[in-house]
Amino acid sequence: MDFTPLLIVAYFALLAITLRKRGGSIEGPWLFFFRAFFPNWKFFHGINLTPRLYVRGQSKMGNWSDWCLVYPRLPLKPQHLVHNPAVNLALTHQNLVDHLANDINDLPDGTDIRERVTYQLVSRLARQAIAGGQWGDRPMMAEEPLRDLSAFQFEVRMEMPGTQSSYLMLQSPEIPT
Amino acid sequence: MSLTLAIRIFEVLLGWSLLLQTLEYLRVQSLDRVAVWPILQQEIPARPAWIKFCLNKLFQPRPYKALLGLRLALAIALMLGHIGLIGALLLFLIAMLLLLRWRGAFNGGSDFMTLVAITGLLLAHIVGSLTDSPLGWRAGLWYISLQTISSYFVSGWVKLMRPEWRSGRAMTLFLDTGVYGPLPAKSIFRNPTVARICSWSFTVWEGCFPIALLDVRMAWMFCAVAALFHFLVFVFFGLNRFFWAWIATFPAVLYCSGAKW
Repeated sequence: MDFTPLLIVAYFALLAITLRKRGGSIEGPWLFFFRAFFPNWKFFHGINLTPRLYVRGQSKMGNWSDWCLVYPRLPLKPQHLVHNPAVNLALTHQNLVDHLANDINDLPDGTDIRERVTYQLVSRLARQAIAGGQWGDRPMMAEEPLRDLSAFQFEVRMEMPGTQSSYLMLQSPEIPT
Repeated sequence: MSLTLAIRIFEVLLGWSLLLQTLEYLRVQSLDRVAVWPILQQEIPARPAWIKFCLNKLFQPRPYKALLGLRLALAIALMLGHIGLIGALLLFLIAMLLLLRWRGAFNGGSDFMTLVAITGLLLAHIVGSLTDSPLGWRAGLWYISLQTISSYFVSGWVKLMRPEWRSGRAMTLFLDTGVYGPLPAKSIFRNPTVARICSWSFTVWEGCFPIALLDVRMAWMFCAVAALFHFLVFVFFGLNRFFWAWIATFPAVLYCSGAKW
């Protein structure tokens, strides 16, 4: 007798049961890099507070700009189906902001977030955005960049999509360029 | 679908997906001023020291470009049907190196599914070299098929358990945050009834995907809807890699659905 169908049914039943349980997470540096071997396949599964990056810059005259949202918005082109490096890069950068928010949440007492790679990368992203950086041919911010930048500062705010709900998670010091 | 045909289509589609990804990696190298290796390397564990030493050498611009060039050549060879055990092993090793280069993933789920397909390819060649080739390919295709079906099954049911998805509200909100968004003010997806119907339609379809294994005609239908679904995900979220990564696994699903138990 072939047990294959039974095994398949058992597999999906087990999968369904595990979806209802909140399991513990196993952590480690190598596991982080190789998490692709254990995909959880949970995409866009719920509306939660989402980290957003804001940046402002100081001109050489000493004036600070308003806070500007750094968030990818690009136009759709048919050829993007086969070649879309700018959008994929923009999404990777947005993921860095998500990972920084996770790092802040998981930060052990007495540890400085500025030592974290995510902080350093997001800092570079913020600086690039306020100085006129682009994803492909699109600027990283809707607002005008600051060409004569002398310093910049960034914030990570947690925002609830579709609402005005927002709270400040992190504010960097003023960083000279 | 016969085993021979399933293998050939799988190789062509996976090769195509890898080719597109690799060309994007090559372009990203000149576009990205943020995720640079001198910073990223701080996260690589110090021990064993030789790993970090090798990665620091490998992820310099020129060797990295050469690595991507090798991946490009392997992708073309795969499309032409000229990949054996060594080629599959190289594709697998390069996939692992890219995970290290990009903090575990460059493009999230599409990297995960690409790894599933490459692992299936490697499994097919390893088992095939130890026993016989058809058995190896059956093992590889079943592994890919179960992972693909699990991806829809999990993704569908986690959404159905959330009230914001059942009401349709989540779909509108997520579409608004898409890279090609926000939705136009008069978009049909802003209509709560339409949003609810769409949410229920595709989450139930995802959750029922294991039914595809029962009959090859069902599998064709599920895969056709899946292709449309991934195309729409691309249209709203720009996730072109997801489209090709999942499409590449469909020959496995179609083969397994028609397999005699």
